[in-house]
Amino acid sequence: METVLAITSIMFFPAGISLILGGMLYEWADRKLVARFQNRIGPRWFQPLADTIKLISKEEIQPLGVNRALFFGLPVVALAGALTAALYVPIFGLQPAHSFPGDLIVTLYLLSLLTMCTGLAGWNSDSRFSIVGATRTLTQLFAYEAPFLLALLGPAMAADSWQISKIVAYTETHWMIVLQPVGFVIALIGLMGKLELPPFDAPEAETEIVAGALTEYSGRGLALFHIGKSVEMVVGVTLVTAFYLGGLGNPLIFLAKTLGLLLVMAFLQSVLVRLRIDQTVGMWWRAGAILALLQILALIVLK
Amino acid sequence: MNTEARLQRAKEILAPFAKETLTPEANRVDVVIDAADLTKATAAMKSANWGYLSAITGMDLGPDAGQLEALYHFCDAAAVTSLRVRLPREGQPEIDSVADQVPVASFYERELSEMLGVIVVGTPDPTHLFLPDDWPEGVFPNRRDFKIEDAAPVERDIPKVPDQGRMGNKFIVPIGPQHPALKEPGHFEFAVDGEIITGARMRLGYVHRGIEKATEQRNWIQNLYLLERICGICSHTHTSAYAQGAEKLAQVEVPMRALAIRELVAGLERIHSHLLWLGVAAHEAGFDTLFMYSWRDRETVMSLLEELTGNRVNYSISILGGVKQDVGLEQSKSVRKAMDYLEERIRYYLDVVTSDAMFLQRTRGIGTMSRDEAILYGALGPTARASGLERDVRVDAPYGAYSKYPVSLITDERGDLEAKFVVRLKELLVSCFTIRTIVDNLPAGELAVRFPRKVPAGETVSRVEAPRGEAFYFIKSEGGESPTRLKIRTPSLCNWTSVLNKAVGHQLADVPMMIAGMDPCFSCNDRMVTVRRKDDSQTMTWAQLRAYGIEKYKSR
Repeated sequence: METVLAITSIMFFPAGISLILGGMLYEWADRKLVARFQNRIGPRWFQPLADTIKLISKEEIQPLGVNRALFFGLPVVALAGALTAALYVPIFGLQPAHSFPGDLIVTLYLLSLLTMCTGLAGWNSDSRFSIVGATRTLTQLFAYEAPFLLALLGPAMAADSWQISKIVAYTETHWMIVLQPVGFVIALIGLMGKLELPPFDAPEAETEIVAGALTEYSGRGLALFHIGKSVEMVVGVTLVTAFYLGGLGNPLIFLAKTLGLLLVMAFLQSVLVRLRIDQTVGMWWRAGAILALLQILALIVLK
Repeated sequence: MNTEARLQRAKEILAPFAKETLTPEANRVDVVIDAADLTKATAAMKSANWGYLSAITGMDLGPDAGQLEALYHFCDAAAVTSLRVRLPREGQPEIDSVADQVPVASFYERELSEMLGVIVVGTPDPTHLFLPDDWPEGVFPNRRDFKIEDAAPVERDIPKVPDQGRMGNKFIVPIGPQHPALKEPGHFEFAVDGEIITGARMRLGYVHRGIEKATEQRNWIQNLYLLERICGICSHTHTSAYAQGAEKLAQVEVPMRALAIRELVAGLERIHSHLLWLGVAAHEAGFDTLFMYSWRDRETVMSLLEELTGNRVNYSISILGGVKQDVGLEQSKSVRKAMDYLEERIRYYLDVVTSDAMFLQRTRGIGTMSRDEAILYGALGPTARASGLERDVRVDAPYGAYSKYPVSLITDERGDLEAKFVVRLKELLVSCFTIRTIVDNLPAGELAVRFPRKVPAGETVSRVEAPRGEAFYFIKSEGGESPTRLKIRTPSLCNWTSVLNKAVGHQLADVPMMIAGMDPCFSCNDRMVTVRRKDDSQTMTWAQLRAYGIEKYKSR
């Protein structure tokens, strides 16, 4: 019976199919909101699904000079990482499917897996656009990863636990956005960096390096990376909401709070200009990391 | 200094070299010199600070005359001095390069040698600029006895982009001919070390259509419509420049009302072009919201152009001898209304590009070009004016109705990308003001006068300020129904030198913006020749193409 439950939780609910569809829904909401901010009409609700179906049905071209196993393996690992991360967060406002002390760290590293896979995929390719893109992806990873982690450690320290379910139980009664506003801002912006949304879209700046690390991907591989990214968006938004915006009681509250956060993110995406990679790194280490550290220090001192 | 004094000064400078000095038209002297004296004459002009080298026209006088002519046109405000060098047609016509003194001449010299077969001794890059790499040796499209049959491609080792492999941290990032940043085809090779550019090269000619050559086979009227299609953005510039030159040759006096309407459309065209550029430049920086907003507002001026002329892109408002349509009361009202809206929006964008901190990070202090560099590289238009170089044909040499409805010159001392945004947006405010003045004070009168079928023999230079800078036309007639030689030099060609030189040392991420900063227009660069491959079913003669078009539309 336990095995069946485990398989169900990975394949269908809360991870798996339902999460993929949820990811598409969030991707659509993001695209639509940005479009409306930019005075465009934006895509119809099923556009991400249609894109995915189209990509999957297309020929997957294997470029010359790549390691075959890596080329086909990386998208699968990337998606698997994002889906597994979803098992430890209160997705859709429900209790996490699995939980153990310290699962916060595991979740964060599972979320980074997608970025690492993207970087590796670019490095694996012989295209110069991919190589420049991969370099930028990985450089950026080192910029936002530490501040983002520190920002999520704030609520964990307040709740005296590194177990997501326990932290969420604590934040349901304490609005961390009020108690640790600096942490919230860093977590939100860090999430945008993780998702490579503007202004952190230098790794895939189409006007310079076409599609960055994924330039040579087509068909199924590209679709898997895209799905992985939308899943990561849901997981990331869930995590930040649960930690900072008073927890997630039930699916309705979940929907309201995460979509509210998405609205803020879409607004930021529309008004900010793409940063050069040196500016991104400079901003994170000169401002982001120091602010996050100061907050942690303050927490330690005040406790 | 007035124009007369400038021309007098030029004659004095060139006196030691002059074989013959002619005054073919007002504001222009034509000095015939020996090929051997060319570099010395150029150096003399340069050290006397007399204007800038605007274009080189190569002409074939035909097998009977047995001579080629190369005309080096120098412009200083309204004055034009042409150095005319005569070369033998047979054998090896040779001329010395002036590119070491005037860097931008490198492009003109490449064109001269590939189109006319003049060997330019000492030019830095003797490869093809416009013609395809498999173009046969010894076939020159600007020669009078050129036949398209001779232009069959030859098998040749075509220089390729250096190998795909990695060379440590250094590799070459190719941009174009197909690349998301370029909506038009051009090819750039940027050598990068990590993210820093260490070298830059470029290649043009992907949309070369042979327009200069084609004008020689069409009559004066047909050419107007052909030249309009050089560029989709500044189509009116080309018709204005051509019509102005042809009218000068034919000694046709164009009514003031027609000239005013031409200036009105030119102003609207400038608004449409600069707003389009604003959007593209913002997109290159990753600021898509500004891109969407400015293109939305550009629709206002597009609709206005459609209302005035019937077309959104190729307005076809000019005809030889005047304009086609009048601007009535109803249309004046729409113009005023649109100007009110646009002025407000342009002020808003001016505020955004000068105050948005994130945007300024990408524009302030990037690609700074000093005034001296702008002079050296021969920059034109807003690119030059953003470096504090006062160069604007509308002000320096007012043509058409610009003496009646003057525009004010906008310059900025800073020379970086931000200055280019500021200059262009301020120019739009000037354009809005001028358009309003024209609409309020439109002179009464005829719209057009009759233009003769045959144009008297003569040569003329016609200069017009396009949105991107000075467009230079040289037209020669031998009294026939079509021009003998029509040379076009568009502003983008002059601005490339500055971008390629300034790109080195910058980050790869800044390059798209720097290219966008000069507002390049590939279509107006590329004009001259069609490719004909052996057994190529895709190639058609003009008659075949025409028949195919008619057939296709009949069968719909």
